[in-house]
Amino acid sequence: MKYDLITKIGLAGIAATLLSLGAGAADLASAAGNLAEISAISAQAKGNLAVAALGGDVEQIAEMSKRADAVDAAVSEGQMAFAQMERAAAGGDEDAASSAGDDLSAALQKAKDALNGVIPVDKASQHQQWKESKTNTGGGPGKPGDAVNVYIKPWNTATVQNMQQNQWGTFFASGVTSGEQVGDRDATPE
Amino acid sequence: MNRHGFLAGLMVACSVAGVAVAQEASVADEAQLAIQAAEKEVEAARASIAKAKEYMAMIPEDSPLMPDVTQVLGAASENWKTAIESLKGSKESASKIATASNDSVANDYALLAKVNAGVALSGAEVVQIGVAYIDAIANNKTEALDVVRTAMQDALAASSQVQFNYERVKSLIAQKYSK
Repeated sequence: MKYDLITKIGLAGIAATLLSLGAGAADLASAAGNLAEISAISAQAKGNLAVAALGGDVEQIAEMSKRADAVDAAVSEGQMAFAQMERAAAGGDEDAASSAGDDLSAALQKAKDALNGVIPVDKASQHQQWKESKTNTGGGPGKPGDAVNVYIKPWNTATVQNMQQNQWGTFFASGVTSGEQVGDRDATPE
Repeated sequence: MNRHGFLAGLMVACSVAGVAVAQEASVADEAQLAIQAAEKEVEAARASIAKAKEYMAMIPEDSPLMPDVTQVLGAASENWKTAIESLKGSKESASKIATASNDSVANDYALLAKVNAGVALSGAEVVQIGVAYIDAIANNKTEALDVVRTAMQDALAASSQVQFNYERVKSLIAQKYSK
């Protein structure tokens, strides 16, 4: 009888400890802290880019620009993961919240890696493809010294521009305009 | 049998609790590392502000870029103030970790210290990029201007995000203790 009671107390202790660790994994405050850290890394990446720009070394500028874009991609991934985590936590789905928390931690690691120049191959090739498609150099790979890109929005990064242009493409491809294009309308009677 | 079962359970509980303590220690360590990184950036920003005064003297008053310079100086000044205050706040939070009433409170102080150090670091980065912009104007590095201008805009946005998330962390922690 006495041993039974002690065993039950021991098992309750184990359960309580495991539960507290589970709650920690889905801790929103800690996740928001990770999100803040990713944004701080983004600011650092922009700082490195500015230093490279002052130095004037074209290859160095291209490298720092690539790293800053990869960090921006990690910022987007982190924000999406946090939004998922918030939704899951609000809905009481601990597993989904924990999984989104893991995605957020992975995004933080990606941002740290990108700042140090470790960029996943798919991100690096996406960046290169974007540059080749947006510069007016006759098809060669783009570099910061190339001719002016008339589509540039100086307040946005390459990743954001690419995303916005893709969104417009998706919007028109969705057929919501019923075959008509912007500006298509009946002739105004004179 | 029961005694063996209990001992095994106790051992597992101790090892799990050990992992939890190690995690808390690691958050405190992370906070210290974040404070050190922020201190380094704030010092670098302080040095760049001294250089900014020299650069300002080199820019003619009738320069067409003077409105840009004024705007950048305003943003840099605001971020410098934020960086200094946040670094101070971060150190205050870190100093309370050791004297916290329990592990959970200590963990929350460590988190606050870490995130506030991030606010200081990003603010100091904005200051340095702002000075880089003034450097580019003063020294006619016109080819660098577009890149630095874009970097400044992006860093300002990133710095705002860090501040926003710091406020979010504060509010989530406050909610925890108001229940």
